[in-house]
Amino acid sequence: MSTAKPSTPEAGSPAGPWRVTCPEGLALDRLEQLELYHDMVLNRLLEERLGVLYRQNHVIGGLYRSLGQEACSVGSAWALEDGDFLAPMIRNLGSLLVRGVRPVDVIAQYCARAIGPTGGRDLNLHFGDVSRGLVAPISVLGALIPVMAGIALEMWMHGRPNVALTYIGDGGTSTTDFHEGLNFAAVRRLPLILIVENNQWAYSTHVSKQCRAKNLVDKAPGYGVHGEIVDGNNVLAMVDVVRRARARCVDGGGPVMIEARTFRRKGHAEHDDAGYVPAGMRAQWEARDPIVGYRRYLVEAGVVAGESELDAIDDEIRASLERDAETVLAAPFPDASTLTEDVYG
Amino acid sequence: MAERSTARRRKKVDEGASIPVETRIEMLHYMKLTREIEYRIERVLYRQGKIVGGVYVGRGQEAISVGTAIHMREDDVVAPSHRDMGVFLMRGVSPRRIIAQYMGRATGLTKGRDGNMHMGDMNHNVIAFVSHLADNVPVSAGVALAFWIRGETGRVALCYHGEGATSRGDWHEGINFASIRKLPVVYFINNNQYAYSTPQNLSYAVEHVASRAEGYGLPWEVVDGNDIVAVYGAARRAIDRAREGAGPTLVEFRTFRMTGHSAHDDAGYVPPERFEEWKKKDPIARFEKRLLEEGVVTKEKIEAMQEECVRIVDDAVEWAERQPWPDPKDLTRDVYYEG
Repeated sequence: MSTAKPSTPEAGSPAGPWRVTCPEGLALDRLEQLELYHDMVLNRLLEERLGVLYRQNHVIGGLYRSLGQEACSVGSAWALEDGDFLAPMIRNLGSLLVRGVRPVDVIAQYCARAIGPTGGRDLNLHFGDVSRGLVAPISVLGALIPVMAGIALEMWMHGRPNVALTYIGDGGTSTTDFHEGLNFAAVRRLPLILIVENNQWAYSTHVSKQCRAKNLVDKAPGYGVHGEIVDGNNVLAMVDVVRRARARCVDGGGPVMIEARTFRRKGHAEHDDAGYVPAGMRAQWEARDPIVGYRRYLVEAGVVAGESELDAIDDEIRASLERDAETVLAAPFPDASTLTEDVYG
Repeated sequence: MAERSTARRRKKVDEGASIPVETRIEMLHYMKLTREIEYRIERVLYRQGKIVGGVYVGRGQEAISVGTAIHMREDDVVAPSHRDMGVFLMRGVSPRRIIAQYMGRATGLTKGRDGNMHMGDMNHNVIAFVSHLADNVPVSAGVALAFWIRGETGRVALCYHGEGATSRGDWHEGINFASIRKLPVVYFINNNQYAYSTPQNLSYAVEHVASRAEGYGLPWEVVDGNDIVAVYGAARRAIDRAREGAGPTLVEFRTFRMTGHSAHDDAGYVPPERFEEWKKKDPIARFEKRLLEEGVVTKEKIEAMQEECVRIVDDAVEWAERQPWPDPKDLTRDVYYEG
């Protein structure tokens, strides 16, 4: 892995030590700013709680963490409106929480209980909820892009002022579906927002072995698509870039590709110690923690009087997650007699 | 994107005069031979019911295959598309065997098992065309990877495809792989403006499809595909780059498909004035005019060259018509490699 050089956001953060700043023109009220904080912390603490359940053998299957990437999921999903559709990848737990998925449902899904969204039939984030505009993730990376282009096509055909948003990793940009789906959306000028969540590692493949161009977003002009790079660890920058992308899509400006620079601080999944990631690279990104940075912003901008206000939010989330975990562990596994249900619609 | 095109930045230099005279004559010969053999197949033999299956020609696009393949070394490998008859001829595949292939005879390149341009000949380092367009993009990246693994420095692979193929996933994956590995392969995009009946604007939403190269960190160039001198120059630059180990290049040739997708297709979806417009840009007539003006050839010489091409094709047709059909007892042969 000697070729893997540390890569940092080149846009969205000022010179000097990394910090969260508010993009010009973005005006959020106190409640909105605290909502973003709440959802990022919920994202992180829920995953931490799942980490404990995983070690206790309560989680069935894998656990995919988004430690350090919470701002990307939360900020992007938060910028959407009612009627918009979103399709998450395996690390976009935050996007689901923003769209109203309850933590108890997520825990039940991970623990394969009958009360979970798929009733114990599928695991982790492999579930959708069309009533919340959520399309279930597809494990085969890239496949969601043509799916969401199709949803955007439907929006366009009915003249609905909505957008479809999905994510792809740095690795997923090398897939067939990425190319065909984005090209189709570009030719039809569909309202599709594609967030390239560049966390720099596709399992154990570094982004430098994935793409020879300097930036992944350099692919956008080749499709006739507007592209931007954003600091994926700055939740306010994520809100701002997706809001602007949304406006552009609704105006008929065609798809937008956003490269969000971030970093996968855990392994691909909980079983992977990511020994292939250079230690210095991880440390550099730990210093850009999206939640720590946003806490500092909220205090310095005077949104909260002090850190204790934020600590109180954290404590409340922790307590509610304990109750959710208890509920799930008391719930039954699916009954074998229901095996053939829900196979066909 | 367009502003960054190397084609736009480069000063207009007339490269025609620097091409050796014998090379210029050779290119004219192969363009004319390409047209004659395709004329005979499409307009004569097909209508006589002597061709088995479809006919795909590259009329009006002869400069692309000839102006690029002229740079090939003996040991280079080429993966042509179905519009690249000129590549086969320049690689030394005999017109006799090509006609036999179209007529489904046992001595055709696929021994009567497949038809038309679905042929290759590894004796001449020509990889058989894969019908699924853009499939030859990863295939030729693999060829270049083999050169690299074996340390065969200076050997290159050439790959041809249309603009429609650039919308395919295989294209994306193949180009991306070749770019990351910096493989010695050149991609020629024959942009003839129609992918069967799909016009460019429904294929992609960018001015120059070759500009996608930027997203792969690759150089690219767009040139007039009906000007063989421009084709020759762009191909030489890209092939030199690959030979020197500088990796792949995307070269886009702007041209026009002067026929339907194949002989059965009247191309009623193409506005007729477009054919008129592009007829004036015929690559052979342009090159002949140029060579006449330069004093490289005379009218008599051009006529003699044409007669020679007719003779070659006459001989090929006569030979092919005498060839046997495949014998049913050979049906199971050539399914697997027999050593």
